[in-house]
Amino acid sequence: MKLSGAEIVVEELKTEGVEVAFGIPGGVLLDLYDVLYKEEAIRHILMRHEQCAAHAADGYARVSGKAGVCIATSGPGATNLVTGLTNANMDSSAVVALTGQVPTSVIGTNAFQEASTFTITMPITKHNFLVKRTEDLPKVIHNAFYIANTGRKGVVLVDLPKDILAGVADVDLHPKETFAGYKPNIKPNQVQIKRVVEILARAERPLILAGGGVISADATTELQRLAEFLAAPVVTTLMGKGAIPENHPFCLGMAGMHGQVYANRAINECDALLALGTRFSDRTTGWQLDQFAPDATLIHVDIDTAEINKNMPVDIPIVGDVKLALLEILKLLAKKSAKKSGSEWEKRIKKMHEACDSCVEEIPREGASVSDILIKELSKILDDDAIVTTEVGQCQMFAAHYYMTRKPRTFISSGGLGTMGFGFPAAIGAKVAAPDKKVVDIAGDGSFLMTCQDLATCVENDIQVVVCIFDNRYLGMVRQWQELFYEKKYAQTGLGITPDFVKLAEAFGCYAERVEKPEELKDALNSAFESGKPAVLDMIVGKEDKVLPMIPPGGGIIGMIGTERCKHI
Amino acid sequence: MQTHIISLLVEDHPGVLTRMSGMFTQRGINITSLTVSPCEKEGLSRMTVAIKGSESELEKVRKQISNLIEVVKVVDLSEREAIVRDLCLMKVHVKDSEARSEVMQLAESYGAKIVDAVLDAVTLELTEEPERIDRFVDLMRHFGVKQLFRTGVTAIGIGGGLER
Repeated sequence: MKLSGAEIVVEELKTEGVEVAFGIPGGVLLDLYDVLYKEEAIRHILMRHEQCAAHAADGYARVSGKAGVCIATSGPGATNLVTGLTNANMDSSAVVALTGQVPTSVIGTNAFQEASTFTITMPITKHNFLVKRTEDLPKVIHNAFYIANTGRKGVVLVDLPKDILAGVADVDLHPKETFAGYKPNIKPNQVQIKRVVEILARAERPLILAGGGVISADATTELQRLAEFLAAPVVTTLMGKGAIPENHPFCLGMAGMHGQVYANRAINECDALLALGTRFSDRTTGWQLDQFAPDATLIHVDIDTAEINKNMPVDIPIVGDVKLALLEILKLLAKKSAKKSGSEWEKRIKKMHEACDSCVEEIPREGASVSDILIKELSKILDDDAIVTTEVGQCQMFAAHYYMTRKPRTFISSGGLGTMGFGFPAAIGAKVAAPDKKVVDIAGDGSFLMTCQDLATCVENDIQVVVCIFDNRYLGMVRQWQELFYEKKYAQTGLGITPDFVKLAEAFGCYAERVEKPEELKDALNSAFESGKPAVLDMIVGKEDKVLPMIPPGGGIIGMIGTERCKHI
Repeated sequence: MQTHIISLLVEDHPGVLTRMSGMFTQRGINITSLTVSPCEKEGLSRMTVAIKGSESELEKVRKQISNLIEVVKVVDLSEREAIVRDLCLMKVHVKDSEARSEVMQLAESYGAKIVDAVLDAVTLELTEEPERIDRFVDLMRHFGVKQLFRTGVTAIGIGGGLER
C-alpha cells in the first residue's frame, strides 16, 4: 500500500488503539498534523507546553492502563518533553513520544530548531528510535508500543525527520515485532515460588510491601486475596498507594520517609517480607538498612532483573510478572490451610493500627496543621472512584500520608523524579482517560505555578480538573528542611504575594474560589464541580505547616521524628 | 579493583554503542578497552568491553546492559576461562645495527612480526594476551617506542560450546 510517512504513523497509531494524543505542532510536523486534521479516530489535545504534553500522556497511561501518546516538534519542542519523559520512565509509565526532526539531509548541521533528540533522550527512555527510512515506519511505531507496554513499562520515543514523514513508501501495515534480545514476559521460577510458599506458610509475622508494580500488573485483587489468606498486613510505597484499599483492615498504609509510623514499625518487626513490584527506593527504606526488616526473610518479586539486589540484598528473588507470581503463590497456598486469626502479630498490628486511626480521626487534634485537616476532608468529600493527582513536596506528602486511597489507579503522583508541576497536567491526562470520574490535583502554590498555563488547555477542551492549591507562599518542603535542619534560614524559599490565584484562574475562564478555613472546603469543592468548568481552589494553609512524622536525612525507618503526636506507639 | 571482560552480542544499529557506554558513564566507570566487530550472525555485532570495577558494581551494570533492547546477550568472560587477545602495532627506534639485531631477536622470542623497517626504526606486530604485550612493550621502551597502537582486548570462551 502506498502511503506517506505521516499516513503510516497515523494508521499504526490507530492499530495500536490510540484514541488520544497530547501535543503541540511545529514546522517539521506539518505533514503529520495535516493527516491528523482529517482523522476522526484520534482526538488531539493541544497543550500549552510540551512538558505538560508528556505529563498528560503519563497521567493518561497511569489511569487507563494504556500507553499515553505525546507529540512535540523538533529542537525546543523535544527538549521541553525531556522532564516529562524522564518522570514517566522513572515511574515505569507507558508513554510513546513522537518528535519531529529536521530533514535527514541536514541532521547534524545545527539546522533551525535542530537538537539531537535521539542522543538527548537515550538515557531517559526505555528505548528510542531515529527513523531514517519511510518504509521502516510501520515496524518502528508498532515496536514502540510493544516495548512501552511490555515488561517493565516505560517511555519509548520515536524521532521523525520531516522528509521521512513527507516521503511516500509502499508498505505492509501492521507488522509483527522482531527482537533478538528483548523477551519481556518472564514466567516466575517454580522452584522459587515453592520456597516462597513454604516461608509464607511458616512465617509468624508476615508482611507484604506493595509497590507500583502491583498496580501496573493489575494484580490488586490477587494481592488482597493473599493478604487475607495469610492474615498478613500490607504496607505500600508511594507508587503502591491504591494497590489495596487503604480502609481495608489489613492495610497499614504507606511506609517510608513520610509513611505511617506503624507501617514502618511493621517492616522493622516482621519475620517474612514479601516485596512486590518495588525497587526499594531510599524514600521507602530509609538510610539505615539494618533497621529494614532485620529479622525477616526478604522475598522480592519484580519484572525487572536489574532491580534484584540493586538497592536491597534479598534472600529469595523472583523475576517475573507480579500477577503471575501471585497467582502461582495462591495456587500452592490453597493446598495449605488459611492462617487462623488471633495471632500475636495480628493483635500487635491491630493495636498499632487502631491507635493511629484514632489519632487520624481526631480533628482538630493537638499539633494538627491546616494541611492535614484539608487532606482528611478531601478523603471524606471525594468518592472512592475520584482520582487524585499530586504536585511534589509538602502537598504530595500530606496527600500520601493522609489521603485515603480506595481503588487502584486513583492516586497519581510523581514518585521517582519528584517533578514539581506534574500533578496538574497529569490530572488533565487522567480526566481525559476517565471523563466520568472526578479529578482533583492536590497542588502546592510553588508547583502549580510551574505548569499553570495549561488551564487554557482545560478551558478550551472542556476538561474539568479541580486544582486544590495548598497555598502557603513557600516552597514548603525545602522550607521545612531549612526549619528542621538549617536553623530556620529560609534561603530562597519564600514566594512573596503574587499571584492572586483566584484572579489568575478567572483570567483563564476557570471557576475559582478562595478557601480560608477547612470547614469551607466541602461547599467550595461542590460549587467547583457544579460549575462544570475547570476550577482552582486557593486554599490558605498554615504558612509553616510541617509534614510529620518523617525520617530525617540519614535516618532509619524506626527513627522517625515528629512522632510526639503519635503517643500511642 | 579487578579487570573484567564483558562480551556483548548486540544488534548492529546506530546508537547501540552510545547506549551501552552510557550505562558505564552514568556510574562513572571507565572503559579500559573496547572492540566492536561483526560476528558470525548477520545483523549482529560483538563488543568486548574491558572495565575495572568492583564485582557488585559491575553486576548491576551488567544487568542494566542486558535490559537494553538491542543487546541480545551478555557474557562475563572473567567468570569463565577465556582466550583473551590484544593486537599491538609499535614503531621502535633503532639507533644502529646492533640495536636493530637486538630488537629483532627479542621480537622473535616474543613471536612478534616485523611488518616494516626503515633505517632508524622497525615496526612490530604482536598478537598476544594483554599482559604479555605489556611486558614486550616495557622491553622495547629501552630502545625507544616512537608510537604504540593497541586494539584493546577481544576474547572468546574456551571449549567447543557456545556462550550461555
